[in-house]
Amino acid sequence: MSNQEKGTPLILLENIYKIYEMGEEQVRANDGINLSIQKGEFVAIVGKSGSGKSTAMNIIGALDVPTSGRYLLNGIDVSGMKDDELAGIRNKMIGFIFQQYHLLPRLSVLENVELPLLYAGVSPAQRKERAMKALEKVGIADKWNNQPKQLSGGQQQRVSIARALVGNPSLILADEPTGALDSKTSREVLTFLQQIHEDGNTIVLITHDNSIALEAQRVVRLKDGKIIFDGPSEEYRKVQVNMQ
Amino acid sequence: MRNPLRKRIPRELIKEFGKYAVIFIFLTATIGFVSGFLVAAGSMTKAYEESYETYNVEDGHFELLSQITKEEITRIEKEKVTLYENFFLELDTDSNGKKDTSTLRVYQNRDEINQVCVMKGRLPKKENEIAIDRMYAENNKIKVNDVIRLEGKEVIVTGYVALSDYSALFSNNSDMMFDAVKFGVGVMSKEGFLQFKEAPHYNYSWKYKNTPTTEKEKKEASEDFLASLVKVGQIKNYVPEYDNQAIHFAGEDLGKDKSIMLVLLYILIAILAFVFMVTIHHTIVKEAGVIGTLRASGYKKSELFLHYMASPMLVTLCAAIVGNVLGYTVFKNIAASLYYGSYSLPTYHTVWNLEAFLLTTVVPLVIMLGVNMISLLHSLKLSPLQFLRRDFKKNKGKKQVKLPNVGFMNRFRMRIMIQNCSSYFTLLGGIVFSSVLLMFGLMMSPLLSHFQASVLDFKLAKYQYILKTPTSIENQGAEEYSALGLTFVADKGKEEEITVYGIKEKSAYVKESMPKNGVLISDGFAEKYKLKEGDTFTLKEKYENKRYKFKVQGIKEYPAAMAIFMSNKAFIDVFEKDEGYFNGYFSNKELDLPQEAVVSVITEEDMTKITRQLDLSMGDMFVMINVFAVVLFSLLIYLLTKLILERNTNSISLVKIIGYDNLEIGKLYLVATTWVVIASILVSLFLSTFVMKWIYAFMMKEFNGWLTFYIKPTIYIEMFVISIMAYAAVALMQLRKIKRIPMQEVLKNVE
Repeated sequence: MSNQEKGTPLILLENIYKIYEMGEEQVRANDGINLSIQKGEFVAIVGKSGSGKSTAMNIIGALDVPTSGRYLLNGIDVSGMKDDELAGIRNKMIGFIFQQYHLLPRLSVLENVELPLLYAGVSPAQRKERAMKALEKVGIADKWNNQPKQLSGGQQQRVSIARALVGNPSLILADEPTGALDSKTSREVLTFLQQIHEDGNTIVLITHDNSIALEAQRVVRLKDGKIIFDGPSEEYRKVQVNMQ
Repeated sequence: MRNPLRKRIPRELIKEFGKYAVIFIFLTATIGFVSGFLVAAGSMTKAYEESYETYNVEDGHFELLSQITKEEITRIEKEKVTLYENFFLELDTDSNGKKDTSTLRVYQNRDEINQVCVMKGRLPKKENEIAIDRMYAENNKIKVNDVIRLEGKEVIVTGYVALSDYSALFSNNSDMMFDAVKFGVGVMSKEGFLQFKEAPHYNYSWKYKNTPTTEKEKKEASEDFLASLVKVGQIKNYVPEYDNQAIHFAGEDLGKDKSIMLVLLYILIAILAFVFMVTIHHTIVKEAGVIGTLRASGYKKSELFLHYMASPMLVTLCAAIVGNVLGYTVFKNIAASLYYGSYSLPTYHTVWNLEAFLLTTVVPLVIMLGVNMISLLHSLKLSPLQFLRRDFKKNKGKKQVKLPNVGFMNRFRMRIMIQNCSSYFTLLGGIVFSSVLLMFGLMMSPLLSHFQASVLDFKLAKYQYILKTPTSIENQGAEEYSALGLTFVADKGKEEEITVYGIKEKSAYVKESMPKNGVLISDGFAEKYKLKEGDTFTLKEKYENKRYKFKVQGIKEYPAAMAIFMSNKAFIDVFEKDEGYFNGYFSNKELDLPQEAVVSVITEEDMTKITRQLDLSMGDMFVMINVFAVVLFSLLIYLLTKLILERNTNSISLVKIIGYDNLEIGKLYLVATTWVVIASILVSLFLSTFVMKWIYAFMMKEFNGWLTFYIKPTIYIEMFVISIMAYAAVALMQLRKIKRIPMQEVLKNVE
């Protein structure tokens, strides 16, 4: 799906500024970002350290609010929301995949996956059923009773993907999901993400690695808080060298 | 239960059982003691107040030189009072065969006025039986059924009693302090009382027919009654109830320490709240990933806040509940025994004390909540992503402290100190607090001994006779003086009696020459009210508004009393006395004066009775304070060093892998703490002296008189040694903990 095919965008960032005051200095982490992501897109946001990609992810993931500008998530303006309202949005609409997996060490694999449903107040029977389905989808249903420390890094990341999927979120936000994995496991994880995308999920992948970014359908490159490229990954492949 | 973290609360309590158990026990004991103290004070105050009615306490008493007739009694009773004969004998005792005697003031069994509360045994029935004051008996180790000797006669002690008009055993109302070792009271049957040949003291108690209610009414009624009584005959003694220390002293002291107890409790709760605060912060840092995940999954800050607040609040709540239960059962009795160790109070019934419950339950919870809330809200301020990335904002922009080149080990230790500075600051606060308590516990006995020695060193004379009227004697060495009591009105209207002395020129007893204008003031008076040379102050008549202004011309060392000194000539001028007036003798030998001419004699024993009584009634308390201080000190060091080791578990595990042995690791981690502890102890010795001076001045303002502030120099050494020994015990425990940290720790998944 291209930007030109207009529908109600899932993510609409309009003139987003995020400014931090560091003493007398102002740091513009996001400096007037405009971005629209449609439902079902697989977008990679790429940039070097300090480019503003984490700030953008914070805002897209409803983890933070912009200093100014408007952010509509599925048509809901979340840019002025309070902390607790943002928490509600995250629980209902966003699934997170993190670099370090961040599984709760004392909970079993199944309980970790159930976590977002637990908070959403889903009944125990339904919780278990949906969590097991998500685990089946990522291929580790047989490990449901294990503890995270009994799994390999790749398996742990698969659990975290299952956790992100289980609530049927509108958006899956993956923050450097392969950062802690070896190349073979990274490849597996990226294949999973592509499969999930093919199932109709919207994925936003945050990475500093161009080769990872190219696995997405569309690439948005940030530099100094501004978007310097936004287009299909094939096009990015051609210009990426000039953007280093 | 939507929060999976909640499972952690019981898990944490089980895992850290030792830590929570120690905090719980300590908090419970402290809350229990304060609650018990408040409950005991409240219940005893109620019993004391009710005793006026229960035991029909007099509105006053007077003593005459001779017995009056029934007609005279009837005539006096026309003055709207009812009179009761309340004669007594003052008998020397020879208790348990000991040679040194005390005085027992013996009354006949009382049925109408100032009735007696039987605490143990029974009232005497036979001629050779007596029931004596419980406190006097305990102080002199006299048991029920013991035989004591009164003026050579053997009598059996049938019981312990509390006389409702002697809750504090003042033998003389003008005494600064009572002495429950050397003076006691008791009751005998009529036959027993009459067996003694000496004439009794003709003491009469009175009750108003229309009881005055306000202080002013009481005073007016007393003055009117005194005016009519003067016509009857020579009054030896006249003490209205409101002015009777034997009745009021205990009542005024009950619960007097309430505010200081509560302040100590709240400081302690605040220190423990800081310990929890540092612990929680450490846990949040450790569990940053979990917090970030939960926050990203939609969990609200408030839910995490409640979770992390649960442990301290739960421990405090449980400690408050159990503490209050113990307060009403165990500690109440301990507190009551402290009061019973000081006063001859009647029996009491425990009453529910809502104020005590609120002050020992709600306020500690509020303090715990307040301290931790500020810290927790600050810690949870970070965004979920910052938690996930362990990106703790406050470290941003912080420059690495440049350390001097003092070798690797020392630099390592200095890093530990910088890393744990919040724990170390809490430790410093705790050590200062414990040191203040320890200093208080250790200093009081030497202070009392020092005061006693000073009183004797700087006494005016071995005997100070106070006369009713000027009476001449032929005794070489005795010297006339004048004295009267005036009132100093301090801040907040607190009144204090000051003795004004008129001293003869070239006195043999007062070495200082008296100033021409102005007065010398005693060092206690100067210290207590911060008076110095050149200042002026005002004294007023006790029951009148007549005021006298004086200028301080010097300070005289005279710790025995709050007093001012002027020449006798100035005394006569100021107080408009007749030429040649005097009303007392200084003498270093006992004088042979007619009994009726003497109001009282102040001997060395009288001057030192305050220290004896304080040591007797407070001695156990000082020991308890010391134990409490050492336990608190050890507890804080244990909790904070434990935290420091836990924070560094990975590093310890790593240095073990590198090849360091347990002792070397101990040297790395514990030596840094040892430096801080030693420095904190030294700082606290210095700080606690100042804090103690301030507390002491504040505390002494509540009392009449002044005990010169004194810290025996060896106390500093004692404090240092006790503190270091307590620390050494804790350090050994922590060394064992280091041994138990496995090398695999660092290899495990940190989350």
